[in-house]
Amino acid sequence: MKDASGHAGGVLTTLLRQRRFVVGLVLVCLIGGVCAANPSFASVQNLRDLLVQSAPVVIVGCGMTFVVITGEIDISAGSLLGVLAALMGLLASPQHAGLSAPAVVAITLLAGMSVGLVNGLLVTVGRVPSIVATLGMLTILRGITELVLGGVWITDLPPSIRILGTGAIAGIPVCVWAAALVAGVLIVVARVTPLGVRTRAVGGNADAAAIARISVVRVKLFAFTLVGLLTAVAALVCVPQQSVIESGIGVGFELVVVTAVVVGGTSIRGGMGGVLGTVLAALLLGSIRTALVFLNIGEMATFWERAIQGAFILAAVLADHFARAAADRRGGQLAGAAA
Amino acid sequence: MIRTGRAIFGFHEGVLLALLAVVLCIAAWLEPAFVAPRTQLEIGTHAFELALLALPMTMIIISGGIDLSVGATMALASVVLGLLHQAGASMWVASAAALAVGALAGALNGFFVARMRVHPLLITLATLAAYRGLAEGISRGRPMSGFPNGFLELGTGTLLSVPIPVLALVPAVIIMGVIAARSVWGAWVYAIGGNERAAEYCAVPVARVKFLLFTLTGITASVCAIAFAARRNTAKADVGSGIELEVITAVVLGGTSIFGGRGTIIGTALGVVLVHELREFVGWRWGHDEIILIVIGATLIGSVLLANLGFRPKK
Amino acid sequence: MIRCVSVVLAAAILAAGMLGVAPGAGPDRSDKKITVCLLPKKKGVPYFTTCAKGAEEAAKELGNVELIYDGPTDGSPEKAASMVDRWALRGVDVIAVSPNDPEVVGQAMKKAREKGVHVIAWDADAAKETREFLVNQATAQDIGYALVDAMAKDIGGDAPEGEVAIITATLTAANQNEWIKFMKERLAKYPKLSLVATSPSNEDQRLAFQVAQDLMKAHPKLKGIFGISSVAFPGAAEAVKQAGKSGTVLVTGLATPNDMKAYVKGGTVKSVILWNTIDLGYLTIHAAEALATGKLKSGATTLKAGRLGTVTIEGDQIMLGKILVFTKDNIDQFDF
Repeated sequence: MKDASGHAGGVLTTLLRQRRFVVGLVLVCLIGGVCAANPSFASVQNLRDLLVQSAPVVIVGCGMTFVVITGEIDISAGSLLGVLAALMGLLASPQHAGLSAPAVVAITLLAGMSVGLVNGLLVTVGRVPSIVATLGMLTILRGITELVLGGVWITDLPPSIRILGTGAIAGIPVCVWAAALVAGVLIVVARVTPLGVRTRAVGGNADAAAIARISVVRVKLFAFTLVGLLTAVAALVCVPQQSVIESGIGVGFELVVVTAVVVGGTSIRGGMGGVLGTVLAALLLGSIRTALVFLNIGEMATFWERAIQGAFILAAVLADHFARAAADRRGGQLAGAAA
Repeated sequence: MIRTGRAIFGFHEGVLLALLAVVLCIAAWLEPAFVAPRTQLEIGTHAFELALLALPMTMIIISGGIDLSVGATMALASVVLGLLHQAGASMWVASAAALAVGALAGALNGFFVARMRVHPLLITLATLAAYRGLAEGISRGRPMSGFPNGFLELGTGTLLSVPIPVLALVPAVIIMGVIAARSVWGAWVYAIGGNERAAEYCAVPVARVKFLLFTLTGITASVCAIAFAARRNTAKADVGSGIELEVITAVVLGGTSIFGGRGTIIGTALGVVLVHELREFVGWRWGHDEIILIVIGATLIGSVLLANLGFRPKK
Repeated sequence: MIRCVSVVLAAAILAAGMLGVAPGAGPDRSDKKITVCLLPKKKGVPYFTTCAKGAEEAAKELGNVELIYDGPTDGSPEKAASMVDRWALRGVDVIAVSPNDPEVVGQAMKKAREKGVHVIAWDADAAKETREFLVNQATAQDIGYALVDAMAKDIGGDAPEGEVAIITATLTAANQNEWIKFMKERLAKYPKLSLVATSPSNEDQRLAFQVAQDLMKAHPKLKGIFGISSVAFPGAAEAVKQAGKSGTVLVTGLATPNDMKAYVKGGTVKSVILWNTIDLGYLTIHAAEALATGKLKSGATTLKAGRLGTVTIEGDQIMLGKILVFTKDNIDQFDF
């Protein structure tokens, strides 16, 4: 699927057609620009914080990329994060179940996968459109979170669980390791394995995929279960960073994840996209707010923060749209390459 | 012209009507006061924004699109209304400006979707953040109130002992229903949702229809912002937050296919009433906000599952 | 055929669902009971859950009170206003409201009063004409001043100096904006304390954590952070703790003592501002009951409130008592 043209514009055209390149470029420019204005932005501590901030979006976004490539969407991830956080808290807290850390981890992962599987079954077997099924799940899971916590927050997470959020291996926080591992594995899965090919085939043309004896149901079930599992991973390594587990965890998270996936170049119509683009977009979206703080533009930044973020997303969506359209006009077919 | 899915009253509407009847019967049995006409009329005002926004949203979804930015557009219009009122403009001028801003916000979405061919989910996800951010920025987060009494009367007054917002919904539903089911314009919308390319070949002005649909949604969002200001005497940047998902829930519950091409205004009206009655009744009887969420989510998924049982498409 | 079956099925499922919740959950309708509705700003927050605990205690003690505690789980003022409307139509006796947005909810409170329902405000106030009494634990001014005074005391010295920042809930949060107004007013008393930023955290603990991290990096001379929403406070405290700046950057705010105990003992937080929330809920129910039975009338100067004894009324404000400051010396005495 690589562009084989040898002439001068060829390389640039190829690159411009790949959203991950555009996003990467914007990310580098943003970091470079802010560093020029305020060198302390480039401190090790700050870069580390940026990675930690983006970790949950990266982790869940990688799985979401698969779902979106198959032509579906999962907007229940935020509420799922909330319900899994509550579950983890209730299981781990000595005042409630007080289970050991391995048991808590196992049950949380299992619960995440189960909800993902249910989403997948609703979409495939139940033939409920994914946006509808997961919209329903979004409200149901939020209601359940409120019910199980019952207005009392969990403030006594045992150290064995807190360490997942606050600990570090070789100076790098656990959640960053987890994000890197998830991203690494899934980039390989998407690029090299038959599963990656099947995922794109299902999203590109489900009927053709079915003729090619690819089980559409199985691929979609895998994708939804993966998002469930990864949301559980995110709950385990990112939530214990905070001392309190409350009922509002994950509100609006699904929109951030979906934004990262589409800004990262995965087509919302399915069939193409890549994990690397999602990772870069997640880092980009996570850096905007911090960058604003370091630019020191005073009170204005407070009131216009969301507008600037929105303008950024809008610009990213449009810039890519035009870059791709321009590239399409100049050379060859659409880049369907996956990262 | 393509007529598929333009049936006025189908199977799904039957299911909804049955469900609604069950809910109301249970309500009448457990809480007779809840189904009293006076109560129903008065709590009807709570559904105004949901019901009004659901109308153009139905058309957009039938055309195969979606608009996530309705709540943010509402906030933007609300803030413009409030700021102009504070600056001393008359309510007429302020309302007109709010309508204009809403129309502009909707037109911008429409422009990107229709002319630039950006996916509607993508562009409205972006403008959802941008419009609300803009509303926060220009209002600095402050609430604005102190609207004149004549204006507040629009939101709180009654005509023939029916609250004005509830009364206003009736012509809105009828007009939109007639447009959808009987006009050429409505037929175009169904045609685009059924098969966009085929519609184009049939000389349907696809881009123009889409552009107008989004603009109409923007205008409707500003009407909601004005109605909210009239009912609660407040204009603020957090008005309408999260309403987009409630609206989409009601529309889909009403039987409109999220893939486009299928759906009715009557279905949407029933969907809105069902969501509204469920929410109000559960709140009235059991007073648990959490349970309302679970009931509505389960009804949404359940209704589509059931509809799938009834409509098994031939392979 | 399948269609008919599915219609019947749908009806049956829904009916079963509704009846399943029905037994015992509905309020007992004996005629002598006074129905009191207690509306928090946001349901699902420990602050209000503890208030509800006190309210239940009072309802049980009084015996003639049927208590309904409900509020929007997302804190939406419009939903809160809808609840007030609904209760008023239902014809309950008293509605006690903690308005999350005085204007939006105030409109509904006014309408409820026109219907002849007793309306009192508790925890936060709305316009005077919207309610008969206010159960006042602290005014916005008291809270704003107390926060700044506590920070000044924690930083120490006769003329405390340094940079401070506020992490608030959302830009549009009515109550917080009111507190911030008075905090700024009070900061004028400490000329060497300069407010460098007021940042929203959108009711998100994680975001509050990140905002606090960013503030510490962008303002290396930062001395204190006010976390003035229920999740901004622990979020900011955790950020300071993880940055190893406990004691150098002080965090203060409003929270129930149980939620912040660990930070107070660890030294990240020197003082936590609040009042006795259980007593607040308790007093509110006593006031509501007295109002409904005619024991409490406009112009009264005292109110007998169970274990709280005689409570004074100033004008139309029922006073709970003083704001409490929890420090590591006294925090163990409180359990709520």
